[in-house]
Amino acid sequence: MSASLNISPEHRRLIAKLESIGTLTAGEHDALTALPLRVRQIAEDTDIVREGDAPSDCCLLVEGFLCRYKMLPDGGRQILAIHTAGDIPDLQSLQLKVMDHSLGTLTPCKVAFIGHAALQEITRNYPGVAALFWRDTLIDAAIFREWLTGVGRRTAHQRIAHLFCEIHIRLKAVGLANGDGFDLPITQAELADSLGLSTVHVNRVLQDLRRGGLIQSRGKYLAVMDWRALEEVAGFDPRYLHVR
Amino acid sequence: MDLILQPVMVDTGEEGEGCLVFAEGWLVAVLVRLSDSHEDESGYWFLEKGFGRLDRPDPPSFSDLPTAEQWIKEHLEIRRPPRWPGDPGEA
Repeated sequence: MSASLNISPEHRRLIAKLESIGTLTAGEHDALTALPLRVRQIAEDTDIVREGDAPSDCCLLVEGFLCRYKMLPDGGRQILAIHTAGDIPDLQSLQLKVMDHSLGTLTPCKVAFIGHAALQEITRNYPGVAALFWRDTLIDAAIFREWLTGVGRRTAHQRIAHLFCEIHIRLKAVGLANGDGFDLPITQAELADSLGLSTVHVNRVLQDLRRGGLIQSRGKYLAVMDWRALEEVAGFDPRYLHVR
Repeated sequence: MDLILQPVMVDTGEEGEGCLVFAEGWLVAVLVRLSDSHEDESGYWFLEKGFGRLDRPDPPSFSDLPTAEQWIKEHLEIRRPPRWPGDPGEA
C-alpha cells in the first residue's frame, strides 16, 4: 500500500467512491490514479454546467455539495439531486452530449474536471471501470426513483427525514460521516427546492424534529440524536443506495 | 372585488392564528401568521393554502394582511388564457 501515499486526495476520493459500490483490480486502481484531473475551487451558488451546454469534461466532486436542477419559466427551481463528495454528477455527459439540466454548487466546492477523452480511454481499456461507472449511473437512477416517490407520496416530515438518512449513508460510504451526524451546510430554501416544499414547511418540520429530540443543529453540523426514530419517521431502507 | 377575512385557528403546529379569505362568497385562501421560529419571516402571513387560481407549489408569505389581500386580489383578477383551441379561458 506504500504506493497509495503518492495518490492525490482527488484521486483518492474517486477511488473511495468507486470502491464503496464495487471492487477494483490493482490495474484498474493504477489506471484511475493516473487519470489527468484539473482541480478547481468553486464558490457557492455557482453554475458548473448549464442546461443546453455540451461539456467536454466531467466533474468529480471532491469536497462540498453540488446539485442538479431545472429552472421553470416563472423563476421556480426544482433541485433534482444533491451530490456528495466522490460523485461525478455529470457522468452522463459522456453519452448524452447536451445537458438537459444544470449543475451548480450549493456550498463552496473543490471539484476535479476529467476530460471526456481520458474517461473514454479508461472505459475502453478497463471494462471493470466502465462497469463501475455504469453501476454508479444505475444507483443514481435508483436515487431519482426514491426522490420521485418522496415528492409524490411522502409527507414533509418523511421527505426531510429520508433525505437526512440518505445523505448520511452516502457520506459515510466515503468516510465523511461518523455515527453522530454530518456537516450539512444547505439552506432551508435549498431543502425546500429539493423536496417540493415551501421554506415555511421545511422550517416547521425541522422545529418538530428538534423538539422531538431526533436532531440538533450545531451551526452547519447536523447531529442526529436518535437514528432509529429518524429512520422510522422516514420509512428509510438504504437498499436503494447499493453501498457495499 | 371585496375580500372578507374571517379569523380562524389553524392546526399547523404553530401558534395557530389564521384567517379564511372569501371572495364573493367563495373560500379562496387560508392565511396563517408565522411564529418567531421563522426568523426573517416571523409575523408574516403565509399562504397556507390557495384554492383555484391561488394554488401554488411554492406559496408566498406577506409582511402584513393588506399586502396579502392586494396579492390575492391581483391574482384573482388575472384572466386565465385559453388552454386549448376552443377553451374560452376565464374572465
